[in-house]
Amino acid sequence: MIVVKNLQKIFTTEEVETTALNGIDMEIKDGEFVAIMGPSGCGKSTLLNILGLLDNPSEGSYVFYETEVAKMSERQRAQHRKGNIGFVFQSFNLIDELTVFENVELPLLYLKIPAAERKVKVEAALERMNMMHRRNHFPQQLSGGQQQRVAIARAVVAKPKLILADEPTGNLDSANGEDVMKLLQELNNEGTTIAMVTHSPYDAGFAHRVINLFDGKIVTENFHV
Amino acid sequence: MIKNYIKIAWRNITKNKMYSVINIGGLAVGLAVAMLIGLWVWDELSFNKSFVNYDKLGQVQMYQTFNGERGPQLAIPLPLKKELEKYPDFEEISLASWNSEHIIANGDAKFFRNGMYVEPAFTKMMSLEMTQGIQNGLDDVHVIMLSESLAKSLFREENPIHKTIKIDNKDDLSVTGVYKDFPKNSGFSDVGHLLSWKYYEARSSWVKNSMTEWNDNSWQCYVQMAQTSNPEKVHSKIRDIVLNNVNNDRKLANPEVFIHPMSDWHLYSGVENGKMSGGRIQYVWLFGFIGLFVLILACINFMNLSTAQSEKRAKEVGIRKAVGSVRSQLINQFMSESMLTVFISFLLSLLLVFALKPWFSDLAGKTLNLPYLNVNFWIISIAFLGMTGLLAGSYPALFLSSFNTIQTLKGKLALGRFAALPRKIMVVTQFTVSVTLIIGTIIILRQIQYAKNRPLGYDTNNLIYVHMNTPELRSANFETVKSELMQTGVVENVSKSSSPVTDDWSNNSDFQWQGKDLNSHPLFNTVSINHEFASTVGMEFIQGRDFSKSFASDSAGLIINETAARVMGFEDPIGQYVTRGGFEKLQIIGVVKDMITGSPYENQRPSLYFIDKYWYSLYTIKLKASESPSVAIAKLVEAFKKLNPGSPFTYSFADMEYSKKFSSEERIGKLAGFFAILAIFISCLGIFGLASFIAEQRTKEIGVRKVLGASVSHLWQLLTKDFLQLVMISCLIAIPIAYYYLSGWLDAYQYHTEMSWWIFVASSLGAMGITLFTVSFQAIKASLMNPVNSLKSE
Repeated sequence: MIVVKNLQKIFTTEEVETTALNGIDMEIKDGEFVAIMGPSGCGKSTLLNILGLLDNPSEGSYVFYETEVAKMSERQRAQHRKGNIGFVFQSFNLIDELTVFENVELPLLYLKIPAAERKVKVEAALERMNMMHRRNHFPQQLSGGQQQRVAIARAVVAKPKLILADEPTGNLDSANGEDVMKLLQELNNEGTTIAMVTHSPYDAGFAHRVINLFDGKIVTENFHV
Repeated sequence: MIKNYIKIAWRNITKNKMYSVINIGGLAVGLAVAMLIGLWVWDELSFNKSFVNYDKLGQVQMYQTFNGERGPQLAIPLPLKKELEKYPDFEEISLASWNSEHIIANGDAKFFRNGMYVEPAFTKMMSLEMTQGIQNGLDDVHVIMLSESLAKSLFREENPIHKTIKIDNKDDLSVTGVYKDFPKNSGFSDVGHLLSWKYYEARSSWVKNSMTEWNDNSWQCYVQMAQTSNPEKVHSKIRDIVLNNVNNDRKLANPEVFIHPMSDWHLYSGVENGKMSGGRIQYVWLFGFIGLFVLILACINFMNLSTAQSEKRAKEVGIRKAVGSVRSQLINQFMSESMLTVFISFLLSLLLVFALKPWFSDLAGKTLNLPYLNVNFWIISIAFLGMTGLLAGSYPALFLSSFNTIQTLKGKLALGRFAALPRKIMVVTQFTVSVTLIIGTIIILRQIQYAKNRPLGYDTNNLIYVHMNTPELRSANFETVKSELMQTGVVENVSKSSSPVTDDWSNNSDFQWQGKDLNSHPLFNTVSINHEFASTVGMEFIQGRDFSKSFASDSAGLIINETAARVMGFEDPIGQYVTRGGFEKLQIIGVVKDMITGSPYENQRPSLYFIDKYWYSLYTIKLKASESPSVAIAKLVEAFKKLNPGSPFTYSFADMEYSKKFSSEERIGKLAGFFAILAIFISCLGIFGLASFIAEQRTKEIGVRKVLGASVSHLWQLLTKDFLQLVMISCLIAIPIAYYYLSGWLDAYQYHTEMSWWIFVASSLGAMGITLFTVSFQAIKASLMNPVNSLKSE
């Protein structure tokens, strides 16, 4: 379970100080699917980055599965991230030099999982995303929808507790976007916790709960039944 | 994981072909140079190490002071050995002659080979490896030990032991042993045979007579120290032995006996302030450093190009971090890439070394071979590759792995104002090294040319020497020889002397004259010449005249050079008397211009020329300029067949002998030039790659500027300016460094050129010109691009 209290994030440059998050309190329960919405610059992505342990908050507490992670170093965060969090990005972020199989395999490599086991897991993930036939292709050889399916396969292959999706359909047409959302929903149905940033009310409709941010604060929370 | 690292590394190498070629090509060149220099350094450091008693062997030498200069001298008086034997500090002692040419014959098989007269202990001291016969083979008088190669030449497959050979067309000697040739990198590499000292005494009465003569320093002495001996204590015991025994005149030279250990012979035989100090070791260090620098230059290319590629790799770093990579894993990944690059470069460098080896061996003057079968070679190579990989890969690995995950994933890589600073520093380093090497090369070459242009005082053109190396030639009547040679029609003049005109074989300080400062003890080169010598070699008289057969008194005449006249302090030397050896009075009849007989880089020595009819060693023959050398030599061969029947005709050209005086410096000049070219090549390769990156990075800017009306030349300036500034900074750093080190190098030569300002200016302009040329290619290519395309690239 994720518990965030009074989270603040302030970006400081030589001349300006920008408050990106300003006292966020929230909880994400195991198995929940949460969508985070709001206008550009409201702090959605900043919040997602902090939740994903890619960044530290300036103030406040963040308890990630019973561990306080708010003040952790980059190294400690990387250790926690490994195997616990899967990411799905708007721009897919696949490594161009790696094949589909190798891209999906990457998190398992960093978890030092033996090769035979990796193969089984990667193939299962690809099978599930219906991408097995493309296993030896490079990202540039795939369509956007296919690339995002590979990215999802990569996000789930290590069976993380939490999947963070940053506008996962933002670069896709509606049909491919629908596919991706259905995949996320399926994963959630199987027990994976998902936090997703989106601009799309339609996509947000797949979530159990929608958190609306404005100027770094939570303004409303809506629950879907 | 490693497999994955290597796979990615390989894909990156094949994807960015141009940068890979620059990286791998540059590193391969750097590694090949490092390997070639490594082989050379190894050969230098292992000199003489093949001798089992390496640590205990030494040569007895003396420091003496002549003409106000103190320095070591190899030649010692023979009775010194008997004195040394009184000390238990020496396990073995052997007298030795100089290594000189003898004719060795077995029937018709006849060869000129160098050899030494030594005492029986010598063979044991030098741990002769016997292939046949006994090691202790020099106890008798008429015996000889042959090197394996000479034995093979003389006897082919026959067993030479107890067979007889004839030496110098004179005596028969029995072969008692055949030893493996001394290794090429040893002080005795061209000692083809060893003769018994007893035979030396039997053959030459002057040697026998000198066994008790303290005032004649004409021989060598080798010692093997006892296990327990202490070098410093030994030195204090033996230092004054010669001083206490020589006559009063010789005492002025203040002879000090010392042992020069074998471990110092090759690398530490330099002289500084009258003491042994430095020597070839300075070149070992110098070239070792240069090799390392060339390799570092190539590593810098790798670092620069890798970090320049950072924008392209940033996204990858971000993704890897997001999916769970910790920084150490990223560092490992980038290090794997550099290791792979280094490994491929190593394979390529082996090919390069293989291709360059004959040429480099020739340049270095030694046979260098890659020891493929030596395990140590591979261990050192792997360690070296590991270090190179670390050196080249550490900065990019640390730099790339440090990127902020969020920014890189967003595609915004804010590197800050000073991100390019390390890259600039590296370019400056590269060009500093290159420019220093260019300046160094020019100054070395100029110094050689300066010495070559020094007036010789004689004419080496068409001049050849024929050594009196057989009894027939030594005892031949000069007039007969001359008339026989003149009859060939190819000879202009013939003369004889005790030393060749290009060398000084003998010196003596035992001269007195009126007004001599009794505290001074100048050393004179002494040469016995005949009446024809001065005209044959073209000596230039500035006062008086040459020896003439018209004056019977000229047998007691003396010709001196300008420096001798100055040393003796004569205002008008002609007619002055000089006493040699305390009794022989010689009258000065002529003064000649100084002649370069020693090092062309040193001050002139005072020289005395006189007629000593018992002391001649070679004929000097002036060939007619109108005859081609090959025709002339063919005719001389025929003439010498009559004069010296049964012996091969051997000769040398004076101009070639003279040019050998420059070989060491020419070698250094060529090596420095070679390294300078490589350094500038590698540096240019680097900036070529960098320029292309920068042009790529600034594609949009170039497009916008073009749309706004910038001309090609404006854009060219924009893109080349930064590089030129860096190279200018390099020149400003390189000039004082080069000035400091090269003025030290030049000061070591008494006769040296000056460092003109234009050398520094020309080197700097040259470096900037090359930079401009290299960078312009990329700059113009970028400037000519259609702005529509470049604007699309965003």
